[in-house]
Amino acid sequence: MAGPMVFEEKEKFLEQLRVLVQEGVPGERIRVITPFGVPEVEEILPGKRSKVRFFALVGAASGTVTGFAFTILTSLSWPLIVGGKPIVSIPPFIIIAFALTILFGALSTFAGFLLLSRLPSLRGIRSGEEHGNAFVILVEDGERK
Amino acid sequence: MTRGESSMGNADKYAKVDRDILAAMEKPGRLYLAGLAVTGSLVVIGGILWAYQIRNGLGVAGYTHPVNWAIYITNFVFWVGIAHSGTLISAVLYLFRARYRTSFNRAAEAMTVFALMVAGLFPLIHLGRSWVFYYLIPYPTQRQLWVNFRSPLIWDVFAVGTYFTVSVVFFYVGMIPDFAIARRCKEGIRKKIYSALSLGWKGTERDWRHYAMLYLFLAAFATPLVASVHSVVSWDFAMSIVPGWHTTIFAPYFVAGAIFSGIAMVITLVVPLRKAMHLHEYITDDHFESIAKILLFTSLIVSYAYIVEFGLASYGGNIFEMESFRYRALGEFRYLTWAMIFCNSVVPLTLFAKRLRRNTTYLLVVSLLVNVGMWLERFVIIVTSLAHDYDPYVWGTYRPTYVEVGISLGSFGLFFMLYLLFVKNLPVLSITEIKEHL
Amino acid sequence: MKRRDFLWLLGVISGSTVMTSCGSGKSTARFTSYLLPPEEGIVPGEANFLPSTCTECPAGCGVLVRLRDGRPVKLEGIPGHPVNDGGLCVRGQSSLYRLYHPERLRGPMAREGGKHRPVSWEEAFSRVADSLTASRQGSLKNLFLSGRTTGSLSRLVDATCAKLGIERLPEYEVYSHTAEKEANGLLFGERDIPHYRIENADFLLTVGVDLLETHVTPVAYTRKISSARARGDFLWYHVEPHLSLTGANADRRFVLRPGRERRLLSFLLREVLDRKTPKTPLSGELLAALPRTTASIVSGETGIPSESLKEIANRLATAKRPLLIAGGIGTAQAGGLEVASAAALVQWGTGAIPERVDFARSENYRDVGTLRDMEELSARMGRGEAGIVFLFRTNPVFSLPQRLAFKENLKKASLTVGMGDFLDETLREVDLILPLSHSLESWGDVEPRRGVMSLLQPVLPPLHDTLSDGDVLLRLLGKVSGRGAPGSYEELLHAAWGKRLGEAGRNRLLEKGYAEETLPKKAVSLDGKRAAETLRSAGPTEDAGKPVLVLAPSLRTFDGRSRILPILSEIPDPLTTITYGPWVSMSEEDAARAGLRDRDEVTLTAADWSTALPVKIQPGLAAGVFFAYRDLLPSPPIRTDRRTGGGVEYIGGVRISRTGKTAEVPILSGSFSQLGRGLIPHPVHLEEGRRHDRWTLYPEHEHKEYRWALAVDLERCNGCAACVAACHVENNVPVAGKADHLKGREMSWLRIEPFYEKGEVEFLPMLCQQCHYAPCESVCPVFAAHHNPEGLNVQVYARCVGTRYCSNNCPYKVRRFNWREHKWPEPIDRMLNPDVPAREVGVMEKCTFCIQRIRAAKDKAKDEGRKVRDGEFTTACAQSCPTGALTFGNLLDKESKVYRLAHSERTYRVFESLGTEPSAYYLRGRKP
Repeated sequence: MAGPMVFEEKEKFLEQLRVLVQEGVPGERIRVITPFGVPEVEEILPGKRSKVRFFALVGAASGTVTGFAFTILTSLSWPLIVGGKPIVSIPPFIIIAFALTILFGALSTFAGFLLLSRLPSLRGIRSGEEHGNAFVILVEDGERK
Repeated sequence: MTRGESSMGNADKYAKVDRDILAAMEKPGRLYLAGLAVTGSLVVIGGILWAYQIRNGLGVAGYTHPVNWAIYITNFVFWVGIAHSGTLISAVLYLFRARYRTSFNRAAEAMTVFALMVAGLFPLIHLGRSWVFYYLIPYPTQRQLWVNFRSPLIWDVFAVGTYFTVSVVFFYVGMIPDFAIARRCKEGIRKKIYSALSLGWKGTERDWRHYAMLYLFLAAFATPLVASVHSVVSWDFAMSIVPGWHTTIFAPYFVAGAIFSGIAMVITLVVPLRKAMHLHEYITDDHFESIAKILLFTSLIVSYAYIVEFGLASYGGNIFEMESFRYRALGEFRYLTWAMIFCNSVVPLTLFAKRLRRNTTYLLVVSLLVNVGMWLERFVIIVTSLAHDYDPYVWGTYRPTYVEVGISLGSFGLFFMLYLLFVKNLPVLSITEIKEHL
Repeated sequence: MKRRDFLWLLGVISGSTVMTSCGSGKSTARFTSYLLPPEEGIVPGEANFLPSTCTECPAGCGVLVRLRDGRPVKLEGIPGHPVNDGGLCVRGQSSLYRLYHPERLRGPMAREGGKHRPVSWEEAFSRVADSLTASRQGSLKNLFLSGRTTGSLSRLVDATCAKLGIERLPEYEVYSHTAEKEANGLLFGERDIPHYRIENADFLLTVGVDLLETHVTPVAYTRKISSARARGDFLWYHVEPHLSLTGANADRRFVLRPGRERRLLSFLLREVLDRKTPKTPLSGELLAALPRTTASIVSGETGIPSESLKEIANRLATAKRPLLIAGGIGTAQAGGLEVASAAALVQWGTGAIPERVDFARSENYRDVGTLRDMEELSARMGRGEAGIVFLFRTNPVFSLPQRLAFKENLKKASLTVGMGDFLDETLREVDLILPLSHSLESWGDVEPRRGVMSLLQPVLPPLHDTLSDGDVLLRLLGKVSGRGAPGSYEELLHAAWGKRLGEAGRNRLLEKGYAEETLPKKAVSLDGKRAAETLRSAGPTEDAGKPVLVLAPSLRTFDGRSRILPILSEIPDPLTTITYGPWVSMSEEDAARAGLRDRDEVTLTAADWSTALPVKIQPGLAAGVFFAYRDLLPSPPIRTDRRTGGGVEYIGGVRISRTGKTAEVPILSGSFSQLGRGLIPHPVHLEEGRRHDRWTLYPEHEHKEYRWALAVDLERCNGCAACVAACHVENNVPVAGKADHLKGREMSWLRIEPFYEKGEVEFLPMLCQQCHYAPCESVCPVFAAHHNPEGLNVQVYARCVGTRYCSNNCPYKVRRFNWREHKWPEPIDRMLNPDVPAREVGVMEKCTFCIQRIRAAKDKAKDEGRKVRDGEFTTACAQSCPTGALTFGNLLDKESKVYRLAHSERTYRVFESLGTEPSAYYLRGRKP
C-alpha cells in the first residue's frame, strides 16, 4: 500500500487526484483528508449524494405529523372550552406543528449526520492523528482479507 | 478574506489564519479579567434579587394594576429579538452565499445562543409562581391534563425552544472542524476538551460531504425560524385584544425590529472584538459597510411600521386604539416614545452617507443608540398599551423598582459574561470557512 | 414479685405515661375530624344560621349569622326583618371584622403611671365598688354616660344607676338629630324622630339628610326608596350644600348655600300653605308668624334658581302623598330649629302625618342628648364635681370639639371607668377599662324603633376575657351589694321577654330574631302657639361665611366608630374612590382658581383650629363649599347652636392655603369620565346598539341545565358598596393595605366605578362578567382559566402559574393578582370562610359568582332529586344589596327573574362590541 500523499497546495493536490482517477484507481479506495471542504473533490471523485437529506425529510415530516397529532389528541383527551374556541382549533395547532417540523427536522438531520459519518469516533478523539493544513490522499490496498 | 495577493504560500497563509484566530484563546489580560469581574458581579446581584423576588412575591417589582407586564417581558422580547440576526447572518446569508458573512457568523451565532439563554430566563423570572414553571411544559399531569396549545405563551415555549435547540446545534456543528484545529494547537486539559468536542473529526471527503449537506439543511431549517420565531413572540401581544397590541402588523414589524436590534448588537460586540483581538485583516470595513446597510434597511422597515401603527390608529376611528396611541405619544411616557423614534428612525438615516457607514466608531455609537431605542420600543409598546386600555377607571401607570432594574442589569451582565467566556475559549471566527475562501 | 413492687411499678409506668403525654402539643395539633360534634347543631362541613342584630351603628338591622364549626363567618340580613328586610350595608357586612379584630381589648386593664396594665375582673370591680362607697361619703356625683342605648339594656342601666346612686346622663351621639327632636317636641309634643314611611310617598323632598348613608336607619330608608321607585310613580328631590351619595342618587339634586335651608323651607312652607288646606287649619297666630317671601328673593339667598324653587314647591304642593324630610346637615346648623320647625309644619300641612311621618313608631332617640349636654358635663367635671365617670360604648374624646376640654376635664374625676371594645381615644384616658364583648358574643335586645324588638344572642363563646354589656352591670351590682350578681343577663332577658311577649312570643323572638308589637294609634296634634313662638323668636339668618367646610357623616365609618375596621378603609369611598387616608373635597372651580390638583396638601384654618389635608377635586360640588368626613377630623371646632344645643356641622370662614407638599393618597379611579366608551350608555356616550345577531366562526357551546347570569340594575344601584364588603367576607378576599393601593393593587373582586358627567355621577358595579367567549381563557397557557359547562369562567388556583396574561387580556380588568403573600393575623384567620380557599402568592383570583354557593345549592337540590329553584340561593353581593340592584339566577330558566331582566328593553352589556358575550347584564338608569 502506498503511503499517504501529503500536499501543501490545494492545486497540486487536486491535480494528483485527477491523475489517480484517470489511472483508474477505484473511487472507493481513494481516501482524501482536507482541512476544509473542497467542492472540486466531489466532482473528481464519483460518489453518491449524501443520504443525510433523507433524514431531514423524514424528520421534518414526522415533526409535522407529531405536531398535529399531539395537539389534537391532547385537546380531545380533556376537552376544555377556552374563549369559546372549538376544541380542535387548527390555526394555533399549525404553529406548534411548524415548530416541531423544524425541530425534528434539524435534530434528525444532525442525528443522520452523526450516524452516517460514524461520529463521535473514539479513535479519532484519542489517537489525534493530525495532518494540520495539509491535503492528504490515501490509496487503500485493493486486497484485504 | 484578504485583499490583494499575499506573498506567502498557501500553507503559511492557513497557518497564519490559525494563529491569528486562536491567539485570542490565550491567557486573559487584566482588562478581560476586569470585564469578567464586573459582569460576574452583575450576574450575582441579579441572582440575589431574583431569589428575593421569589421569596417575597412579585409585589417587590413595580407592577401595578393594570400594568401586569413590564420590564421582564421587555427584556424577554429584547433578547429573543437580538438572537434573530445571528441566525440571519449564519443561515440566511449562507443560503444567499453572501461573502461578508464569514467575518461575523461565528460571533453572531454565539450571540444568538447566549441571547436565547438569557431570554429564556425571563419567562421564569416573571412568573408569579416560578417554582411550578414546569406546568408550562407539555406533559401529562397527575390528572392527565396537558397544556393549552391555543395560548401564545405555549407557542413561545415551542418556538423559542425550537429556536434555541436548532441554534445550539447549528452553532456547534459549525464549530466541529474548528475544534479539530483547536485540539491540534492546544495542550493539556484543553486539548482533551477540544478533542471530545470535535467528536474525532477527521476531515475525510465523506465527512465533508455529509457535513456540507447537514450544514445546508440546518441553514434551510433555521431560515424560516428567523421569520417565524419573532412572529410568534409578537403574537404574545397581537393575539390579545389590548388596544395598541392587537394589530396585524406586529409579526413583520417585530421580525424587522428583531433583525434591526440584533445587527446593532452584532456591531456592538464585533467592533471592540476586532480591536481587542487585532482581527482587522479578517473583519474589514467593507464587511461593516455591508452590515450597516442591513441596519439601515431594517430601520426603514421599522419606521414604516411606526407610521402604519399610528396611521391606522388615527384613521381607524377605534376610540380605544386612538387613545392608546395618543397616550403613547403625548402621555406620561412620551419622552420614552420620542427617544425611541429618535434612536430607531432618525439616527440610522445618517447611514445613507457612505463615509459614516465605513466609520466603525460611528457605527458603534449608532448601534448602542439602536439597542437603547429598541429596548425602549418594547417597553413603550408593553407598558403604555396596558396602562390605558378599555375601562378608564382602571387606568394606571408604572414605575420600575430596584429589583427589576437589578435583575435586568444582571441579565446584561450574564450575556456579556457568557460572551467574554466564549471569546477566550472558542474561536471567534470560523477558521475553516475563512481558509475555504482564501 | 412482691405486691408492693408490682404496685410501685404500676405507678411508675402510668405516671410516666401521663406525664409524657401531658402537654404534647403535637398530638393536639394534628387534625382529627369530629365523630361526635362538640356542640349540638354543628355538623362539620355544613353551615347553620342564627339570628342576631348588627350593632355597628344604632340602626339595629337584623342579621343572620352564618356559622361554620361554631364560628361566625358571614352576616346576612334577616329577610322580613322590620328594619332592613334582608339587606345589610357596607358597615354591617364589615362588622364581622370587629369580632375578630386583633386589637380588641382582651381583658380588663387599669392605668398605672401613664400606662395600662392588665388586671383581673375581681380587682377591677373591687376598685369600682370601693370608689362608689367612697363617693357616697363625699358630695361628688357619679355619672354614667353612654351612646344610644335601647331595650332591656337601657332599663338595666337605669336600674343599676338607681341602685348605685349614679346619675344617668343624656346619651351622647355625634349625630343626635337635636334640632328635629326639639322641633317635633315643641310642635307635636313628641321629642323624637318619627318613622318615615317613604314607601307610602309619591314625592320625597329631602333637605340635607343623608338617607342612604348614615341617617338613623339607612338600610331601611334605602329599601323604602327602592321599593317606592319600583312602583314607577315616585319622584325624589334632594337639596344640600355639598355633595353626598344620597344627593347623587336622587332624581334631581339642588345645591343651596350652606345655612340657607331656613329660607328655602320658609318659602316652601308658604307655598304649600297657600295652595293646600291642611286637614286641621292653622291658627291665625301661626299664619301671621310665617315669613313672607318670594321665589326670586329666596333664590338670591339660597342660590337655587327661581324656576327650580317653583318646581320644587309645585311638586310638593300638588303631589298626592308628598313627604318632606329635613335633617342631617340641613338642621345641624345655626337656625336648625327654624329649619326643622318649618319642615314639621310642611309635613303637617301636606298631610304627611301619620301615614308618612309616623310618631307612633318613632326611632327611640328620645334619650339622646345634645352637644350642650356634653358642654355641661365637661364643665361639671372641670369644676371637680365628678366622682366616678362611667363611659359606656362612647368615644367623646375623639368627636367633641377641643374647646370643651373634655379630655383634660376627665382627669379631674375621681375615677374614670371606660367600657368598650377597643383602646380608642377615650379609653386611653380612663383609669379603668372594662372590656365589653362583641354583640355576637352577647345576649341582649335592641329596640331600634318603637314596636320593634331585635334579638342579640351569642353565637360563639367570647374570644377574649370580656363580658357582655348586661353582665358587666350585673356583676358590678353584685360586687357592690356583696351578694354576687343577681343572675346572668341571659336569665334576666329571658324572664323579661317572657313577661313582655309571653312564652310563645319569646320563642318566636329567639327563632326569628325579632318581634313586632302592634301599637295603638297615636294622635298627634300641632301646638300652634308654640309653633308660632318658635318661628317668631328666630334670630336673623346667620351668614355661614365663605368658604364653608361641611362636616359630613361618612358612609364608611358613620361617626368614626367604624374606622378601626381595616376593610372599611380598603373599600373606596364611592364618590372619590379614595381608600386610605384623609382628604378634603374641593370643587373644580375652587381648585382651578387656587391652582390645586388632586393630592396637593392644604391647610384649613378657622379661628384657633387648623389642620392639613390633601385635596380631592369633586365634580358637582359647588364653589365655596368644601367637605370632609367627620371621622377624618378628630375634635373639629364645632359650635353649639344657641337655640337647640345641638352641634353645627359646618365651619364657616375657613381659610385655605397650600402647604406645597403632596400627600400619598390612593385614588383608585383612573378616570372619572367614561370618555365616551359606553360603560354606562346615555345619549351623550357612545350608544351601544340593541343586541344584534352575532356572526361567529365558533361553534355554540351547550349549557345543559344551568347557565348562571347576574343582572345589575343601575337605576337601583346607589354606590353604597355593601356588595363589595359582602364579597370580601364571603370569599376571603384579603385587605391589601395602603402601600398596595398606591400601586393600584386592590384586591376587591367587585368594585363600584363612579362615572361623572356634567357634575352628575352614576355607579357601575364591575365584576367578572363570566364571558361566554372569554378573552382571558384562551391565553392562559396552563388551562387555569377555562369555561365550565354552566357558563362560568372558572379560575383554578392550584394550576395558575402566574403569567398574568389573562389579566392583560381582560377588557374589564376584573382579575386580581396576589402580588405578595397576604397574611391573616390571629384571630382574623378564624373569619375565613372554609368553603373558599385562601389563595397563595403568585396566583390570579377573581369573582366566581360564588361558585361555592352554587355548589351547595346544587348538592342540596340533588339530594332532593330536583333542579335548583330560582331564588333558592344567591350570590353574596346580591344577597346583601339593600336596594335589590343585583339579581342572580339561571338564564336557562325562562321563569326566572334574571331571565326577565336580561331580556328587558333597558338591558345592555358592557363592551358588547368586543364580542366577549358577558353573563352580566346591566339595566340602564333612569336619567333621560
